[in-house]
Amino acid sequence: MSESIARPEGRPKITVTGLRKSFGSSEVLKGIDAVVSEGEVVCVIGPSGSGKSTFLRCLNKLEDITAGHVLVDGFDLADPKVDINEVRRHIGMVFQHFNLFPHMTVAENIMLAPMELKKVSKAEARDQALALLEKVGLREKADARPASLSGGQKQRVAIARALAMNPGIMLFDEATSALDPEMVGEVLQVIKDLARTGMTMVLVTHEMGFAREVADRVIFMADGVVCEEGTPEDVFGNPRQPRLREFLSKVL
Amino acid sequence: MVAAWLAFAALLLGATGAQAQETDNSGVAGKTFVIGTDTTFAPFEFRDSSGELTGIDMDLIRAIAESQGFEVEIRSLGFNAALQALSSNQVDGVIAGMSITDERRQIYDFSEPYFESGVQMAVDQDDTTITGYQDLAGKTVVAKTGSEGEAYAKSIADQYGFTVNSLDQSATMYEAVKSGNAVAVFDDYPVLAYGVAQNNGLKTVTEKVPGGSYGFAVNKGQNPELLAAFNTGLAQLKASGEYQRILDKYLAAPQSAAPSTFLDLLTSSFPALMKGLGNTLLVTGISFAVAMVLGLVFGFFRVSTSKILRGIATVFVAVFRGTPLLVWAFFFYFGIPQLTGQPISIWVAGVLTLALNSGAYITEIVRGGIQSVDPGQLEAARSLGLGYGKSMQRVVVPQAFKIMTPSLINQLIIMLKDSSLLLAIGFAELLYQGQQIYAGNFRITETLFIVAVIYFVAIMALTWLANTADRRFNK
Ligand SMILES: Nc1ncnc2c1ncn2[C@@H]1O[C@H](COP(=O)(O)OP(=O)(O)OP(=O)(O)O)[C@@H](O)[C@H]1O
Ligand SMILES: [Mg+2]
Repeated sequence: MSESIARPEGRPKITVTGLRKSFGSSEVLKGIDAVVSEGEVVCVIGPSGSGKSTFLRCLNKLEDITAGHVLVDGFDLADPKVDINEVRRHIGMVFQHFNLFPHMTVAENIMLAPMELKKVSKAEARDQALALLEKVGLREKADARPASLSGGQKQRVAIARALAMNPGIMLFDEATSALDPEMVGEVLQVIKDLARTGMTMVLVTHEMGFAREVADRVIFMADGVVCEEGTPEDVFGNPRQPRLREFLSKVL
Repeated sequence: MVAAWLAFAALLLGATGAQAQETDNSGVAGKTFVIGTDTTFAPFEFRDSSGELTGIDMDLIRAIAESQGFEVEIRSLGFNAALQALSSNQVDGVIAGMSITDERRQIYDFSEPYFESGVQMAVDQDDTTITGYQDLAGKTVVAKTGSEGEAYAKSIADQYGFTVNSLDQSATMYEAVKSGNAVAVFDDYPVLAYGVAQNNGLKTVTEKVPGGSYGFAVNKGQNPELLAAFNTGLAQLKASGEYQRILDKYLAAPQSAAPSTFLDLLTSSFPALMKGLGNTLLVTGISFAVAMVLGLVFGFFRVSTSKILRGIATVFVAVFRGTPLLVWAFFFYFGIPQLTGQPISIWVAGVLTLALNSGAYITEIVRGGIQSVDPGQLEAARSLGLGYGKSMQRVVVPQAFKIMTPSLINQLIIMLKDSSLLLAIGFAELLYQGQQIYAGNFRITETLFIVAVIYFVAIMALTWLANTADRRFNK
C-alpha cells in the first residue's frame, strides 16, 4: 500500500534531536532523535507507558520540553521566544477522547479556530466547516450537539476540527482506542483518506494492521527511547530487537 | 451687580441675626452637623410608629439647632457605635442619654448637663419574689453595656451576690427578664418608666438611685462652637419653658405608641421594613457584583501557572474566609477613618465587608469550577492555536460557569442573609429596621416574625429568579 502512494523524499517537517522529558524526578523520554519528512506518514508503536503519548505531545508543546530540540517547519519549540500559538495553527491534533467542546454545536466546534485566529466571517467559516464535515461524511450533523453523536462520529468531527486551520501536520494519539469495535473502521477510513492527500502525519496507534497498511515508516518506542524504526515491512516482517519481537508476539 | 446685591443682603441678614440672639453663633449658623445617637434608648431616642426618630434627645437637639440657626443630620448608630464614630470623626457630636463621667471626659468634651438621671431596677410584672436587692443572691441581672445602670449594678453585685450580664439594647434586656434569662434589669429611671408605660411587661421595684448627669459630647478639642451653641440653646430653652415641655411630653404622660393588634403592627411597620428591604437588596446587589469581579480575578490567579499569583489568591482567600465578617465591618467603618482621618461612607464600608468576604468564597467556587472542566478541553483549544486567555474565555469558562451557577446562587443567598450583620455598624437594612421598631414598642417576637417572613419571601423570589436565569442561559 505505502508503495502505491507516490511519496517523494520531502524536506524535513519535524526534526527531533536529543529530546528528553521528565515529570518531576521520573524521566519519561530519555533522548529521542527522529525526523519526519514532508508528506510522510509515521506510526509510533510500543508498550503502554513507553512514552508514545508524551513524545507526540512534545511535537506541539502540549508538554514542556525538558531538554533537546523539536524543530517544526524550522521553529524550535524548545526556544521560549517562538510563538507557540503560531506554530500550533499548522499542526492539527486528534485525541483519544475526542475532546469536542460540548457547549458548541458540531459546526461551531470547527468554526471556532478560523473565526478567532483568521478572523474569517461567520458565513465563510460555516461554509468551510460544512465542506470539512462533508469530507468526513457528517454534513447532516452540523447543528447537532456533540453529546448526541456516537463515538465514531465524534472522532470524525474532531478530525474535521483539527483540519479547520488547514494544517501541514496532523498528530493522532490513539484515535480509535476509545471506540467500540464497529466504529473503528469508519475513523480509520477517514485517516487513510487523509494520508492519501499527502498530509504529514504522526500516529500513535495500537492497530498494527492499520500501521502496516498506512505507514511509510514505523517507530517502535520502549522505555522512553526509540528502540527500532524502519519500513512497515522491516519492522513487522523482520524485527531485529528482542524487545520488538516480544512486543509483536503479544499484539499480533 | 447681582453679586453686590447678594453681598448687601447677606450683610443685612447677618446683622439682624446677631442682634436678635445677642450671642456669637457665627461659628455654627447655617452649618450642618452630623449627630450620632443610640438606636433604642426610649424615651431619649427611638422611632415612632411612622419610623421617625423622636425622643427627648431628638427634640432637644432639634430645638437647639433651630434656635441657634444650624442644621443637624441625625445618625442612629447605637450607643457604642456612636461613640466610636465620634472618636473617628465620623460624626460631629453625640447625644445619646450619655452620662458625663471622668473617663469619658478624657476623650470627649461635654456640654452642660441637660438631664439628671438615676438608676432603677425593674422585674417581671408577675414576679413577686424579687422586691429589692436583697432577693438577688445567686441570680443574674441585665444592664446596658457602658451605662450608669451597669456601673451601679456592678458596684453592688458582690454585696448582694448576683451576676451582671451586659447587653446592648433596652428591648433585648426587657426580653431577657420576661423570658426568665435574667430576673431583673438595671436601667435609667426615665427609660424604665417609659417602658413600663408602654406595657413592656415589667414593673419597677426600687427607688431611683440618684445618678449622673447626661451631656452632649463632641470629640476632644473639636467643634467647640457646636458645644458653645448647645449650651446657649439649652439655657434659652430652659428659660422659655420649652425644656420642661419636652421632658413632660415623654416622662409625665408617656404616649401609648404601641400598635394594639398584629395587623396594626404590620401596617405601621411595613413602610420602614420595606425601606430596610430595599437597602438590604441594594447593598447585596452591589456587593455581589464586586464580589464576582474579585472572585473571577482571584479564581483565575488560583489556577494560574504563576506561583506569585497563586500565592496572592491563596492569601486573599485565607484572610477573608478565615476572619469573621463583623470584624471587617468594624474595621472598615471605625478603624479606617481613625487610620486615615477621612470618614468613610457606610455604604462603602458595607460593600467592602460583604464583597471581600464573598469574593473569597467565590474565588474558591471559580477555582473549583475551572478545575472541574476536563483538562482535555483546554488542551484541545490550545492545540488549535488559541492562546491561554482565548481558550479559557471561549472553551473553559463557559463550561465552568455552568458548573458554578448553583454554588453562585447559593453564595448570593448567603450574602443576602449576611448583610443583616451590617446592622452592627448602623446600616439601615431590614433587620436593623426591625430592631428600631421593637425598640419603640417592645413587641420583639412579632416584629422579628414579620422580618423573618420578609427575608424568606425575598430569598425565595431571588432563588426563583436566579434559577430561571440559569435555565435560560445555561441550556
Ligand atoms: N502529566 C504526567 N505527570 C506524571 N507522569 C506522567 C504524566 N504523563 C505521563 N506520565 C508518565 O509517563 C510515562 C509515559 O506515559 P505516556 O502516556 O507517554 O505513555 P504511552 O506510551 O502513551 O502509554 P499508553 O500506551 O498507555 O498510552 C508513564 O509512566 C506515565 O505514567
Ligand atoms: Mg498514550
